[in-house]
Amino acid sequence: MTEYDYEDLGLVAGLEIHQQLDTATKLFCNCPTELRDPDESTRRFTRYLHPTRSELGEIDDAALEESKVDREFEYLAYDTTCLVEEDDEPPHRLDDEALETVLEIAQLMAMSPVDQANVMRKLVVDGSNTSGFQRSTLIATDGEIETEEGPVGIEDLLLEEESAQRVEETDDGVRYSLDRLGIPLVEIGTSPDIRSPEQARDAAARIGMLLRSTGKVKRGLGTIRQDVNVSIAEGARVEIKGVQSLDDIDDIVRTEVGRQTELVEIRDELEARDAAVGDPQDVSEVFADTDSGVIGGALDGGGSVMAVPLAGFDGLVGREIAPDRRLGTEFSDHAKRHGAGGIFHTDELPAYGVTSEEVDALRDAVGATEDDAVAIVAAATDVASSSIEAVAERARTALEGVPEETRGANDDGTTRYLRPLPGAARMYPETDVPPVEPDPSEVAEPELLTAKVERYQAEYDLDAGLAEQVAYGKFMPLFEDLVADGTDPTLAATTLESTVTELRRDDVPVENLTATHFEQVLGMATAGDLPNEGIPDLLSALATDPSRSAEEAAEAAGLGSAAEDEVREAVLEVVERNEGQVEQEGMQAFSGLMGECMGALRGKADGDLVSELLREEIQKRA
Amino acid sequence: MNPGDRVRVERADRTYEGVLLPSSTEAHLVVKLEGGYNVGVDRDDAAVDVLEEGVHEIESAQDAEESGSDSDSEVEFDDDLPTISLISTGGTIASTVDYRTGAVTAQFDAEDVLRAVPDLAGRANYRGRVVTNILSENMTPEVWQDLAQAVYEEIEAGADGVVVMHGTDTMQYSASALSFMLETPVPVVFTGSQRSADRPSSDNVMNAVSAVEAAKSDCAEVLVCMHASESDDDCALHRGTRVRKNHTSRRDAFETVGAEPLGTVEYDSLDVTFHREHRERGETDLAIDPALESDVELVKFTPGMDPAFLDVAEGSAGLILEGTGLGHVHTDLIPKIEELVADGTTVVMTSQCLEGRVCDRVYDTGRDLLEAGVIEGEDTLPGTAKVKLMWALANADAVEETMQTSIAGEIQRRSTPWT
Repeated sequence: MTEYDYEDLGLVAGLEIHQQLDTATKLFCNCPTELRDPDESTRRFTRYLHPTRSELGEIDDAALEESKVDREFEYLAYDTTCLVEEDDEPPHRLDDEALETVLEIAQLMAMSPVDQANVMRKLVVDGSNTSGFQRSTLIATDGEIETEEGPVGIEDLLLEEESAQRVEETDDGVRYSLDRLGIPLVEIGTSPDIRSPEQARDAAARIGMLLRSTGKVKRGLGTIRQDVNVSIAEGARVEIKGVQSLDDIDDIVRTEVGRQTELVEIRDELEARDAAVGDPQDVSEVFADTDSGVIGGALDGGGSVMAVPLAGFDGLVGREIAPDRRLGTEFSDHAKRHGAGGIFHTDELPAYGVTSEEVDALRDAVGATEDDAVAIVAAATDVASSSIEAVAERARTALEGVPEETRGANDDGTTRYLRPLPGAARMYPETDVPPVEPDPSEVAEPELLTAKVERYQAEYDLDAGLAEQVAYGKFMPLFEDLVADGTDPTLAATTLESTVTELRRDDVPVENLTATHFEQVLGMATAGDLPNEGIPDLLSALATDPSRSAEEAAEAAGLGSAAEDEVREAVLEVVERNEGQVEQEGMQAFSGLMGECMGALRGKADGDLVSELLREEIQKRA
Repeated sequence: MNPGDRVRVERADRTYEGVLLPSSTEAHLVVKLEGGYNVGVDRDDAAVDVLEEGVHEIESAQDAEESGSDSDSEVEFDDDLPTISLISTGGTIASTVDYRTGAVTAQFDAEDVLRAVPDLAGRANYRGRVVTNILSENMTPEVWQDLAQAVYEEIEAGADGVVVMHGTDTMQYSASALSFMLETPVPVVFTGSQRSADRPSSDNVMNAVSAVEAAKSDCAEVLVCMHASESDDDCALHRGTRVRKNHTSRRDAFETVGAEPLGTVEYDSLDVTFHREHRERGETDLAIDPALESDVELVKFTPGMDPAFLDVAEGSAGLILEGTGLGHVHTDLIPKIEELVADGTTVVMTSQCLEGRVCDRVYDTGRDLLEAGVIEGEDTLPGTAKVKLMWALANADAVEETMQTSIAGEIQRRSTPWT
């Protein structure tokens, strides 16, 4: 990938990090924050949405464009969701636990909480919120975090409700699942202080670490999402949504800088060529006898082929602006938004069954010369008309340079057009929820993960690797609870990290293990009721049948501390069986026989006791 | 400093810039920031600079007059379409229609209607009329009379159907009142919304569109048209005297008690179907009997009730009792009830079971109540019975007989199981 001189290009970037909170209940109702499988859904219902005006009487561009597509939304409800998610009951008050966690986050980022937080409705009419808006509250402003390349300002900290999960497209619209809707979500917006791709990634990592330090954030795929805002001096602000992985952030920024640079060059070239966008027209006749499957199919279905002449665009529509994405791909994104499958353009034709004769006839039909390009859309007549208008509109924007817009991150590090940038007009007050006055004085500042790593080494004598694994891992809060309850720190750490990992490798369903399981198992070990060697077997038994208590499972599996007599008997048996070796080698035989003893006791005995008794017996004979 | 001004508010270590909002209280200034978020700032600790006055016309913001749109333009009358009169009384749904004209006395025209609910376009020619602009919990018998008069005038002026936009809290009472007061040759359809019109998910659009379709249908009754389920698929048409709001917040809060709804409007096709016998369009001639006896009370009996509650009805023209079970109250109350009847108060028994018929001939308490002169209200809903007694006392010669006869579908002659 080309490295650019970011300072020279005037790169300005900012981040928006969305993180789900791991609270007991949702933000505006008492449902659990539990994700479900769509198959477990107990009810389903359908709705339509209509855009509304803000309290200042304005209507939002993004919402308006979204609503042009008349769609029916289907929602899946569960025994873990209620009428609040269904928008059939007013929201309850803002959840205290979520507010407390957000105030902790505010403190970690040196932010000032607002005196009075006002819950707002942010218009979203794509169906992902049953109400047609996302409730969002500004909690704190004016913070700062450190990065290698200098401080980055934190502009705002929002407490929002998570949207419903999109399950699939249906014939009539989209199907959503209500389990995720209403899970508390924090949004952290940085100032546009970021000046390089590396700094963007560094800032995101730092914010992630701070969030996890609270011990109250959800973990796993989809629980944290990063949006990146990027612009270069001659470009425009582009908001890139849904970057799933931290590791992709720098690539996304680099690729977007490249895309904007290319679009600026295309604009300069178009200007030099005195380019212009003509009026769309119907060119169905040109393709009356076409061999192209796509075009023929559309025409056979009673549809049309619409074309827009792009004067002076020849060669530029096919020009690559990001890896494997051309200006034509951008046109195509816009056409797709209006229901078309995509577009064809003369820079890539003849191809796809379109002959060179048809291309010539197409150029003739719209009055295009060799210097011009023509884009076409074949689809049902109304779809083709609105799609070609969208293509013409996007082509006109190319004459001006980079359009401001919201884009979505693709898996390959490129991005695609989603919708216009949302404006302030999409916000109006949530009158159903009274404002709250946050009280930051009651909030304890959580210990940073970086500090935890050091403390675990100094205080608990964990090695650096294990300390970091525990502190950054999802079991950190559990680890601290276990240690507070008297479990040996090393035992707690190795159990939660190494033992669990090993069991997972052995296909034990460790995801079934709850905090209570770990507390019970390690509690037994600490009380001397279970040798450490028996921990993996007991956890494995509990994972297989999570309904049992640790004691019940231990009894059923015959795990648990064998009495000293029983151990001595087993040791004696091993020693006697190997009498010759003991007499010959003396203490040299210890390690071999130790293994044999432990095997014979199968996790029932404490290693220290076995070793002590074995030593005694060998000494007697040596 | 006034709402609508662009201000800079400084407080301790931070600064907020934005538009001052009228939602400010004595304790807090509320400022709308650039990004659209509102934030409250402690008034005592804040230093405010007005940067620009009146950047937003807050008072008229709800008018939402689009710049460039011609406010005089008229929606053309289409001879092929029926004429539907839309009457607004306030409440959640009407707020969309009223928000441009605002004032209570104002008339609104077809264009206002279409601006509020664009989906209504092309379904009918519209006449608009505002009877009042109140929350439905503030509804009074006087407003019922104004409303009945307005509906009467609209039908007389040629409306092929009437849609009444009404708050949901007391819609069933107003619908009952019009059921008794009016003889109508066309549908009179009440509708409203359970989720406010300022949210994209509001049920107002579907309810309004379905109500207009119901008002065009072959029916001559007072109906309530609201969501049939939590989905945006069907609206149910309920008879005005048998409907009850049975949920505080759900879209499908309205239910016909004791039977399936009278009809259905399918939102997809906008087909209107009736499931049971009903009066057909044109079957009755237009007439109005709007007189009401307003001195009627409804008392719900509960265990431990202070007998003094019945004293309130002393000297009243009428009293509806909402008794337990088959229609009972504590035995100790019976002498007092007997006194009321003797004093000229008409006392009618209904049941708080809601489902089922009153029968005071089964137990001693019931027989004693009948002995005391209490009239069995059959299966009339308590709220409907109150409205009916108000109307009967002002219009009927034989009140007892009227209360036991179905005037507007409020009594079901046969109790046929339906669930």
